[in-house]
Amino acid sequence: MPTTRREILKTAGKTATVLTATAPWWLVRRAHAARQAKLVVWNPAALAPQVDKIMQEQCYAYAKQAGIKESEIDYQIIGGPQLLPKLVAALEAGNPPDITRLGGGYVQLYRSQGHLLEVTDLVNRMQKLQGGLFPVSMPSVMHQNKAWGVPQSISPWPLVTRLDLLEAAKVDPPKTWEEFVEVCKKLQKPPKLTGFGLCLGLQNDTDNNVMNMIWCYGGKLVEADNKTVALHSKGTIAAVQLIADMFNKHKIIPKGAIAWDNTGNNKAYQSRQVIFVLNPTSIYAHLADSDKELYNVTGLLPVPAGPAGAVEALTTAEWLLFKHNPYPEVAKGLAEYWMAPENLRVMIEEGDGRWGPPFKNMYDSKFWKRPVFQHWRVMLERGRQFPAPGTVNPAAGEVLATYTIGRMMHRVLVESWNVEKAVVEAHKKVAEIYARYQGA
Amino acid sequence: MAMRVTTQRRVFQGVGNGALVLMLLWTAIPFYWMIATSLKHDKEIYGYEATLIPQRPTLDNYATVFRETPYLLFLRNSLAVAAGSTLLSMVIAVLGAYAIARLNFPGRALLARSLVFTYLVPTSLLFIPMFAMMSVLRLTDSLHGLIIAYLGFDVPFCTWLLMGYFKSVPVDLEEAARVDGCNRVGALVRIVLPMSLPALVVVTFFSFTHAWNEFLYAHVFTSTTSARTVTTGLVNFMSQDVFFWGPLMASTVMSALPPVLMFLVFQRWVVKGLTLGGVKG
Amino acid sequence: MATYTTVSLPLPSSRRGLGSWGDRVQRVLMHDRILGYLFLFPALLVIVGLVAYPFASAIVMTFQAKTAGAPGRFIGLDNYRELLQSEQFLRAVVNTVSYTAIGVGLKFLLGLSMALVLNQERFCNNLFRSFLLIPWAIPTVMSALNWRWIFDDASGLINNILVRLELIEETISWLSNPHLAMLSVITVVIWQGTPFFTMSFLAGLQAIPKELYEAAEIDGASVLQQFSNITLPRLRPIFITAVMLSAILTSAGIQFVLILTNGGPSDRTMIFPVLAYHLALGGAQRLGMGAAVSLIFFPILIVFIVFLTRRMLREKGE
Repeated sequence: MPTTRREILKTAGKTATVLTATAPWWLVRRAHAARQAKLVVWNPAALAPQVDKIMQEQCYAYAKQAGIKESEIDYQIIGGPQLLPKLVAALEAGNPPDITRLGGGYVQLYRSQGHLLEVTDLVNRMQKLQGGLFPVSMPSVMHQNKAWGVPQSISPWPLVTRLDLLEAAKVDPPKTWEEFVEVCKKLQKPPKLTGFGLCLGLQNDTDNNVMNMIWCYGGKLVEADNKTVALHSKGTIAAVQLIADMFNKHKIIPKGAIAWDNTGNNKAYQSRQVIFVLNPTSIYAHLADSDKELYNVTGLLPVPAGPAGAVEALTTAEWLLFKHNPYPEVAKGLAEYWMAPENLRVMIEEGDGRWGPPFKNMYDSKFWKRPVFQHWRVMLERGRQFPAPGTVNPAAGEVLATYTIGRMMHRVLVESWNVEKAVVEAHKKVAEIYARYQGA
Repeated sequence: MAMRVTTQRRVFQGVGNGALVLMLLWTAIPFYWMIATSLKHDKEIYGYEATLIPQRPTLDNYATVFRETPYLLFLRNSLAVAAGSTLLSMVIAVLGAYAIARLNFPGRALLARSLVFTYLVPTSLLFIPMFAMMSVLRLTDSLHGLIIAYLGFDVPFCTWLLMGYFKSVPVDLEEAARVDGCNRVGALVRIVLPMSLPALVVVTFFSFTHAWNEFLYAHVFTSTTSARTVTTGLVNFMSQDVFFWGPLMASTVMSALPPVLMFLVFQRWVVKGLTLGGVKG
Repeated sequence: MATYTTVSLPLPSSRRGLGSWGDRVQRVLMHDRILGYLFLFPALLVIVGLVAYPFASAIVMTFQAKTAGAPGRFIGLDNYRELLQSEQFLRAVVNTVSYTAIGVGLKFLLGLSMALVLNQERFCNNLFRSFLLIPWAIPTVMSALNWRWIFDDASGLINNILVRLELIEETISWLSNPHLAMLSVITVVIWQGTPFFTMSFLAGLQAIPKELYEAAEIDGASVLQQFSNITLPRLRPIFITAVMLSAILTSAGIQFVLILTNGGPSDRTMIFPVLAYHLALGGAQRLGMGAAVSLIFFPILIVFIVFLTRRMLREKGE
């Protein structure tokens, strides 16, 4: 008995090992082919609920027109922090959604891993509409003359300002960073009201905010060749030193900003705890629905100038269409529908300007000619993306996603490191990341 | 001598009462904050006007939860998954624990020791290969898929804990029963289980609350709203907006009730079990 | 401990006359070995299928440069080498050890105290027991969010009270002050996790027969003597079980740190599971690195477990 049993066990063990080792990839393909929905949409929340609703309605309208039943659509609105874990797991299992929306270089990252659907024809059609797409939208989606994502929006990050407080104190909007510090010191009333809601937590807002100030002082992340890392410079050091002084000496930044998540500065402004924040229009759009009073006194001002001039941060978002999709035309159709200027206009205007359209001529409408958006054109023209003058690519994406700049700030503000030391360390980390991607 | 002990007892009783009060406060205050926040308007929650006691209590947040989210559906799903995984893991664990504790077979010691190692891989990493597996087995987006996934966590712990408790049940009683003609299964059901009632309660409670609280697997494995549980469904809805604390706290208050009610019910069983058990020596 | 193998026992009267099938079943039920495997089979199936297999996948991943959705490229020990040279990783190790040690230690002490207190005779004890269980009943995610709110700079409960009582002028940043962040996170861990210890110890305490205490008292033992001679030895296996499990689960739990501080400020609260999560899902989504972080921790945990299980099994041998 024992001998036979052992032999059986051995064969069973061997078979199991073989099956296990070869199981993953071909089994996973089979699972995906069996799905029932014709359209799977994972739409991250826009932080302005009215916009989520409009986009969903438009999706269902498209489906109806394309002859797809409601039961064949799987539409999910997913909270920001939850999207990535689900996406990574889904990619690993071989059944990602058909379409989702991301910024920050993910198009290039997933393209380099072979997950995305090519959408050159769609983008070419978009170039023929409304004067075509802004040049700044293109590097995030283009690779070797093919388009791998659909530009969805451009968002400059203005200085969101409490105009009523400035007016009451008869103070003009600050034109330089020095003036800015003075205005904050004059107007703030700690602990209830602090001047500058600069995001300093370990998340993307921080990287964009800090890099914005670095540009104003002449620093940058990487050169236009996308290879030479240029972070360590006098400009960067000056900007970081300024932030450190704002935090420690002038005390115009709330101490809690170090732990803020992606809604930290939104919350701070919307509950009237800060005077200025650097943020895209998610705050403004939210106020339209939730706090008309504050909405009416909120200004979207250009960023104060440093020695190297004034420049805003600019982020773009793209629709990503995944390749593992038995109905690619449906997804492409949806992207095209959402981006059709008539629909886009509805989403933007009824969404109270949550995003800026990527089409050049769409800014000529009445909505964008309102006084609050008077600086928009300027910001669009001079705004820079995170790695500028380099372009958005997987390396920059990783720098952003690992909060390299945020960690640099924590070294200075939390660990009390010398500014140059922290900048040098960050520079080294960025260089390491870029070196790893040579050839992607 | 006896006098001294009585005084000692009284002292300890007093200290105990004091400690109890402190612990009750410690537990209650955050819970109070949760309830209070759930009853406040947005204006009272955020900013420096934040109040300690709701000035104008409102049930709006609760209404929002029911209006904006299919909360009852989430509740039903959570209950189903928790009950299902608890039941299944209990059966599997009881059998397994009894085998290791009482039956003699080769590999027993090794198994006893290696059970614990199943916990070394955190779910925060296991979820990726698990999800791939669930997809292949078509278990995603389903409640029974979640139940099965939770077994991986519950069974080792329950088995291990019960193993410890079963071993502490005196063998004499079982031996007596078997002399009387009872077989192993009978001994298990009639002798060991009733005597381990406190342990069974702990283990049931553990499985239930684990399934109830679980977030990561539920979030990754289920996408469709109809399969979402209380934890994931609500957090997903809530993190879509900037000001979600009011409704989130309202849902948290409601979500904490089932496990607590469950324990209230089990409480009596534990006491009853002990008096029926007739444990001696 | 007495063991039984095949022993011929007279069949119980109810079974007589059932025929060969009944006999065979009866023989199986009497034969320890077969019964053992039979009973164990479902548990083993679960463990192999739901734990061992994903575990094996994860191990393989640590030797690969792997991103989601693509087969990994074998790179040997490179992931491990990179980690052992990374300051962030080494800091995470130190943080994890201290976080776990302090968290479990305090949970243990508080849990034991509460179990002893609840074991005393008292009016409405049942209600108190259920009430103290509430933290454990609340989903971890929601509890963490609630505490995040309690610690909030501007609107949080603690700062609110302190400011009103005029004890402080500037609000305290519980979660972004490098000296306070870890303590704040541990506070939440304790709030949530103590009921587990309380419950386990209470169950153990209630299983100790009252007669033992009565006998000891008659012999003149003081309360403290009774505690150390009767209570403690009886509870030891439960102590070991609870501490071991709690240590493993606490050190591997990500939700508290993720929601409260996300590892900050400046990696002061970075513990290894959070690091693994960040590596696997952030940036280039290097799944291999993420898996490697968890696996490096194994030796430490294994040593700890072996040490404890040996003590426990030795106890059982008496």
